[in-house]
Formats: sequence, C-alpha cells, structure tokens
Amino acid sequence: MMKGKEKLLENLRYVFEPKSIAVFGASPTPGKLGNVVMKNLVLGEYAGKIYPVNPKYDEVLGHKCYGNVLRVKEKIDCAIVVTPAETVPKIINECGRMGVRGAVVLSGGFSEVGRNDLEEELAKAALRYNISLVGPNCLGIYNPYARVDSNFNPAYKSGRPGPGSISFITQSGAVGACTIDIAAHYGVGIAKFISYGNGSVLNEADYLEYLENDKQTKSIILYIEGAKDGRKLFEAMRKVNRKKPIVAMKAGKYGKAMKAAKSHTGNLAGNYLAYRAAFRQAKVTEAENFDEIFDFIRIFNQPLPRGRRVAVITNGGGMGVLTADALEMHGFSMPELEEKAKTTLRKMMPGYVNIENPLDLVGDAGVGAYEKAIELAMQDKNIDSLIIIVLYQTPRIDERILGVLTRASDDRRKPVAVISVGGSYTEEKRRVLEGYGVPTYAYPLAAVKALEKLTVYSEYRKTLK
Amino acid sequence: MRDLPAFKLLKRYGFGLLPYSLAKNEKQAIEAAEKMGYPVAMKLISPQASHKTDVGGVRLDVKNHIGVKLVFKEFKSIARAKELGLGGVLVQRMARKGVELIIGGKRDEQFGSMIILGLGGIYVEIFRDISARLCPITRSDVEEMVNELKSHPVLLGARGKRGINLRALEDVMLKTCKLMEKENLKELDLNPVIFDEKGGDLVDVRMVK
Repeated sequence: MMKGKEKLLENLRYVFEPKSIAVFGASPTPGKLGNVVMKNLVLGEYAGKIYPVNPKYDEVLGHKCYGNVLRVKEKIDCAIVVTPAETVPKIINECGRMGVRGAVVLSGGFSEVGRNDLEEELAKAALRYNISLVGPNCLGIYNPYARVDSNFNPAYKSGRPGPGSISFITQSGAVGACTIDIAAHYGVGIAKFISYGNGSVLNEADYLEYLENDKQTKSIILYIEGAKDGRKLFEAMRKVNRKKPIVAMKAGKYGKAMKAAKSHTGNLAGNYLAYRAAFRQAKVTEAENFDEIFDFIRIFNQPLPRGRRVAVITNGGGMGVLTADALEMHGFSMPELEEKAKTTLRKMMPGYVNIENPLDLVGDAGVGAYEKAIELAMQDKNIDSLIIIVLYQTPRIDERILGVLTRASDDRRKPVAVISVGGSYTEEKRRVLEGYGVPTYAYPLAAVKALEKLTVYSEYRKTLK
Repeated sequence: MRDLPAFKLLKRYGFGLLPYSLAKNEKQAIEAAEKMGYPVAMKLISPQASHKTDVGGVRLDVKNHIGVKLVFKEFKSIARAKELGLGGVLVQRMARKGVELIIGGKRDEQFGSMIILGLGGIYVEIFRDISARLCPITRSDVEEMVNELKSHPVLLGARGKRGINLRALEDVMLKTCKLMEKENLKELDLNPVIFDEKGGDLVDVRMVK
C-alpha cells in the first residue's frame, strides 16, 4: 500500500474520535443543515470542543461562532462542512494549513452533478495535507462511542443507535439514514457508521481496511451501488472478511445490460454478475435485498456453529413444521437428541409431549420448560445450533422468557436464533430481545436463511485453519 | 476474432483442440478429412459471414469423401448466391457427444477479467443459469462454479448418465482465465465446449480484443 494511504487511514481517527470539531456553515436557523449538525453534536452530548464557523453569526447554540477558521487558536481535529460546493476546496486548504487532519464534507454539488473539477480540487487539497476526508455528498459518520454525529437528519425524526459491534459502510446516504433509524428502533447497537457519498479521497475499500482494525467493530455491513475500484474492493473484502464477517449488498443490479457486447458472454454478464462473483469469491455474505441486510447481520453476533444439525424448540407445532421445512430446504438436518437428553425430557415433560426434533413443548408450555430444553440442546452432542420459537400468544409465556432467551443468546456454546410470529404484543417483545442482542425473527424463513449464512461463513472460516 | 487465428491463439495457451484444417479446394478438404478421420464437421469461412449457421455454412457429421465433396460444392454455391467471399472451408474432426457447456470471459470495467460457466442451449438462453468468478481462479473455484449452477446435476451425472470429467473442465477454465488476463481480451466465448466422462472438445470460439 502507498505510504499516503496508510497515513490517511491512520488519520481517520481524527474523524471518528476527534477531540475538537469545527462546523463550517454552522447556523442558528432551525431546519438548516448547519443547525441540525450543531444540534446533534450539542444535544448528543459530544464531549469535545465545538467551533462553529460562519461569518454571518457571532454565536450558534451557545457556542462562539468564528468568522474565519484561522481565528480559532486551539487545535482542531475534524472539520464538518455543509457550505456550498464552490467554497469547500478553499476550506479544506485552510484546514490543512492549520493542521486539521480529519474532514467530513456533507455538501453536494460535486461530481454527482457533473462538477468533477470541483471534486478533483477538493481531493487534491485533502491529499496535499493528508486529510482523511469523508464524502462529499453524504451523511458522513456516526460513532456512538465518541458521540460524534454528522448525520444531518434531526435526532427527533431519526433515532440514533447506541454503542454496539456492527459497523456500516454505505454509499447511499438515504439507505444509511433508514438503516440507522431501524437499528435504533430495534435497539441494535453499532460501532461505526460511514456514509461516504462520492468517496473522492477514501472509498469503500479504504473503510473496510480501517474497520478491520477497529476494536469495536465485530461485523460489517457494506451497501454499495457502484464501486470506485472493483478490484481493490474485492481484495479488501477478501482480506477483512477472513477476520470480521461482511454482509454486502449491491444495489442497481439490473441497470443497463452491456449494449455494446458482441459475444454471448458479453450479453449474459451484466455488471451485477461481476459483483456477485466478487462476493462469492471473497466469501462475504451477500444480502440480495434490503431486508436481508438486517436479518443477516444480526445473527453474526452468535458463535459460529460446528455443523448443520439444528434443534428446534417450539410451543406451537405448526411453526415448528414451517421451520423444519425451511431448514430442510436450506440443507440443515434435525437429528434426534441424545438418549440421555430424551430420557431427561421424558421425565420432565407431560406425557402428551413427543420427545422429538422439532421439540414441541405445546401451547401450555411455561418458561421453565424452555429453560430446561434449551440447556439440554446446548449440551447435546448431536446439535450444532438452536432455533427457539416462542409464540407469545399462548397463556403461560410471560416476561421471564426474555431472560431465558437472552441467557441462551449470551451462552456462546452454540448459536441461537429466535422466531416469534405475531402482532403488536409480539413485536414489542421482539424489540426488547433485539435490544439485548438476541437475533430475533418475525418469520421462520428469515431465521433459517440467516442461520444458513452464519453456517456457511463458519464452514469458510474452518477452511482457513 | 474467430476460427483459425483464434484457434492458433488458443493453441499457444495450451488448449487441446480438435484436429482442424483450412481447405482451399475439394481435394485439400478430402485429404484433411481422411487424415483426421471421419466423421468431420465442415464450416464455411468467409470474412462476410460472422454467423456461419445463419447462412447455412455449417455441416456436421460428414461421413465420407463423397459427402465432403458435396458439402464443398454446396458452400461454393451458397457463397455465390449470398455474395460472400469464400475464404476456404474449415474441416474439423467431429466433437464427442456429451454435455455442451459455454465457457466465457469478459473484461469488466470495475473488476477486470472474469470467467463464466453455463450449460449450453436453453439453460443459458432462457434460464440464464450461469456462474461467474474473477480471474485468476483456482480448482476449487471451478468446483464451486459447477455447484452454483442450477443445472449442476447434468454436469455431475444424473439418471444413470455419468458426470463429465471435472478435471478436464478445470484445466480449460484455468487456461481461459490465463488467456483472458494475458491477452487482456474484452470478450471471449468458448461455445460450445462438449464434455463427457473422459474429457472435452472445444468446438467454436469467438474473441473480442
């Protein structure tokens, strides 16, 4: 790797963990981007120093506002820029001279509207001073650990997730904004959020490399529309995915076919085929649609299964059958439990419970039955993963099940996925469990697909040893 | 690029080719056919006819010297009727019977050289049942590519039919990647390549630089 690139990756710490931030284009007027960004920092309890910069104002949200950044005498780690595109290259140059080494440019109006000249100028300025520049034309970054937030969507309209282990790299700001909101809704914590827009200085491959060594990041979502450099992306995916699982999605799959193609292959092989090839070869988990991104990534907090043998525990026979069908279809088996486990269960359960797999604890099962069945499946040598179906509609399931499921998910002997199908009461419980980091699904198929991805990744990791 | 120049390039990369010869007249065609053994395939070569089958310029399973003579005459009259320059007639030993595959290459703007595999005929035309990898590939990549095809039972053997020689398929695919990368080809069709349990025969090729 080039020396300059290493420096840029290193300097990303000024973006993600700045001790001080200057906001260019800060504004006291509600609704303006420069106002939202300021509010998000101030109300989000960012602990570092904030320097609003805007010649029009003396003060923004209680912070002294500077007409010119050169008048700030203290060290600035990061610049967040929302001013019109024409002004940005100059700002970055000034920042560079002052020793600022991180920048997030939210402003649009660059290559995406044909102003490649402005974008080149911007990149040149950043590279001259080794400034790690995120953007332009993006939502920027969110790091709940340092409470740094450049997302210009107001916090009251778009939730902000707490600290967690999932990082998210997205080319699209809109997709990023929605995902953040959904993550916050389900209480799923994140490590780093990066919306990189045009990616003129650092692109998807660079951010993957950065996250490879980020302590808080355990798994990565990559949402991409068009790579800046496909080969580099491929190499980065392959390298990082060995250590941290990546769930990748390519959007804009069916855009334009190769019109100029002269051969059969040329006609068959649209652009998406190359992405698909790259994902498969790098062994990253591909999400084929937006729903799957979230379904898949959530299960990657679980330990990797040793094989494809699943125990299904349920309090509703039909849902057990649906899950068994989905498992069969995805190449899983549901072997019988070990003899000693079956004996224990037989003694414990009412006579009308059939001791088989799926294990149907039946509709009047209480929390205790789940607890025992889960422990037996965890110990069982015939079992690699657990799918636990809890139908909250039944009379004897109460809040204590949440603790049982959370302990199962935290157990770490075997991966666990929970399925709960139902309406608003169920939905509420699903949210609580997600907040505790239990991968919970609204439908059998979603859970099984996710478990399959985890299992395939586990099989891949075994080949590395 | 097709036919002879393309064959020559393939040969340089170590592709095993069916014996072939370009005949300028009937006598040469018969000589070539006798040497390689019947049955043979005959293809009309003309700079103006890029789709040989469209002009009726392909004859398969020609079984003896009388047939060769007849086909050669036919090709001459086709060329005359369609006002095509006749560059000669390609005589090629008939390929084995087996599973017809398409192996292709493409230079992707973003990812560079890549290779695709599909079962020929309707599988690729209608179902678009293809798998792809970026070059270079390994033997285990080929194995995965085969398994990714929905039609993979046809390759691996089903309903009493033996599977194709996977080792031979791997060899062709590895060479294809090398060719794509070294020659920096824009597009490549090896279509069809016919495999049985013993090996494979490359029947037709088309390259775009």
